[in-house]
Amino acid sequence: MFFRNLTLFRFPTSLDLSELESRLAECALKPVGALEISSRGFVSPFGRDGETLSHGISDAIWLSVGTEEKILPGAVVNDLLARKLEEIEKKEGRKPGGRARKRLKEDLVHELLPRAFVRPGRTDALLDLGHGLCIVDSSSRKAAENVVSEIRHALGSFPALPVNAEVAPRSVLTGWIAGEPLPEGLSLGDECELKDAADKGAVVKCQRQELQGDEIGKHLEAGKQVTRLALTLDDHVSFVLGEDLVVRKFKLLDGAVDALESTDRDDMRAELDARFALMAAEAKRLFSVLEPALKLSRADD
Amino acid sequence: MPNPLRRLLAPHSPVIERDVTSVVLDDGRQVEIQRVRNPRARRLRLSVDERGARLTLPTRASLKSGERFLEDHRTWLADQLARYTLTGLPTLQREVTTSLPLRGTMVPLRWSAGRFTSLEFDAATGELDFRLPARAGEAAMRRALRDFYEGQARADVGRWMPRYLPTLPRPPRRVVFKVMSSQWGSLAPNGVVALDLALVLARPAAFEYVLVHELCHLLRADHSRAFWREVELRCANWREERDYFHAEGRRIKATLRTLLSC
Repeated sequence: MFFRNLTLFRFPTSLDLSELESRLAECALKPVGALEISSRGFVSPFGRDGETLSHGISDAIWLSVGTEEKILPGAVVNDLLARKLEEIEKKEGRKPGGRARKRLKEDLVHELLPRAFVRPGRTDALLDLGHGLCIVDSSSRKAAENVVSEIRHALGSFPALPVNAEVAPRSVLTGWIAGEPLPEGLSLGDECELKDAADKGAVVKCQRQELQGDEIGKHLEAGKQVTRLALTLDDHVSFVLGEDLVVRKFKLLDGAVDALESTDRDDMRAELDARFALMAAEAKRLFSVLEPALKLSRADD
Repeated sequence: MPNPLRRLLAPHSPVIERDVTSVVLDDGRQVEIQRVRNPRARRLRLSVDERGARLTLPTRASLKSGERFLEDHRTWLADQLARYTLTGLPTLQREVTTSLPLRGTMVPLRWSAGRFTSLEFDAATGELDFRLPARAGEAAMRRALRDFYEGQARADVGRWMPRYLPTLPRPPRRVVFKVMSSQWGSLAPNGVVALDLALVLARPAAFEYVLVHELCHLLRADHSRAFWREVELRCANWREERDYFHAEGRRIKATLRTLLSC
């Protein structure tokens, strides 16, 4: 259950979340209906057998938004529609008009929907009440915003905004690679993306590359700027930070996972609980390093 | 089998054609005119703003008629160009520019050599520090300036936003900064607030008014009296700020355009 990508939102720390569990229960995931395209709602973070829709450790709350989507490929509908149109043309000697074709297509979709496969999905989120931070396990802004909208729908009000950096992130990332001091605990990884300053300019992507060598230096001198940078936090977490402030490839390293090895693995729930505690602690620690470095705005007045 | 008649009758998607022509004014000056053929235009139209002159032609108007129209209005064009041409706009020239506009004032600028291109505000000295490697080109310099302005604008928005969030039905989905041609801000139906980057050059109270204006559209998606009441509740001096934009807006927008264009 370790998060792989972190999209960050901030909300006021004064927000009252005491009735969270009951509010989530009202918006629990309902199975997608026979004639529905999709359905979305909260599911237990512990999976199908879980009883609660949220799980809290200290000031961290773990939520999961589940989705059920019908798979109905456009090509299937169009193929059936073409056959039907052919049949009608043979029978009546004329092609049906646009309106009739549209109605036929709608009828076909209604006919196929109950037989369509249902694709289940799940996106996890972490609410850090101490920092007023909502972390969604997705690198897609749209998917992350959908999770926040779902939380807002459940709570009635959830004034969460995407994190706002008061400095240009690409300038900070470029500075780190160019030899400026990194925040305490952070060290450079071996992956980066550099972009030319001009719109639609050159893009250089490096992997397994020494980032402080001459090759990268030449690109910087030519005016390229870093838009993605691999970093490591205290040998506990490795990740790639983008100029869009999305943390990708978030991975707990051996240094952090060692602490988990000693826990009792017999109980699945205890295992997930321990994993969440560890991941939440590392994600919060990472945020407390990034917050001053990127001058991230607070959501409190 | 494709029906040629149907293809013939199908409406064509409107295509806007642009090119540049020129006209010689009475004083001998040759000025460039942007010529736009717009299918939505119903008549010939000559307009002038701080970006220059523009001749709009309907689909069926001939180029000759456009030229005649320009000739007939040469005197008017010269008057308008004199009125709208802004002089004394700051420019960005390496090692030459000594100050840059920010939040309604000019901030001193110093140039230094660096390993990468960056522009930062040094709070200790109250100066901007532009660091450039020897090989960095114009594009890198202007990109750094744009990033700096966006960072400053985000800092302002980050400071003001929490004050207004509690009284809104929902927060904006996100705030983006763009270089806008005529608007100062907009709110999309999906909740994304777009603000003109030039706002960071205006005085802070005016910038805050635009933010409040767009946030109030989350309450009322119109410009009704009820909407302006919401604006008034949050920004009592909005009329002064609107007047400020009427007086200074063109200059502010032109300044940003000049600074960011190579």
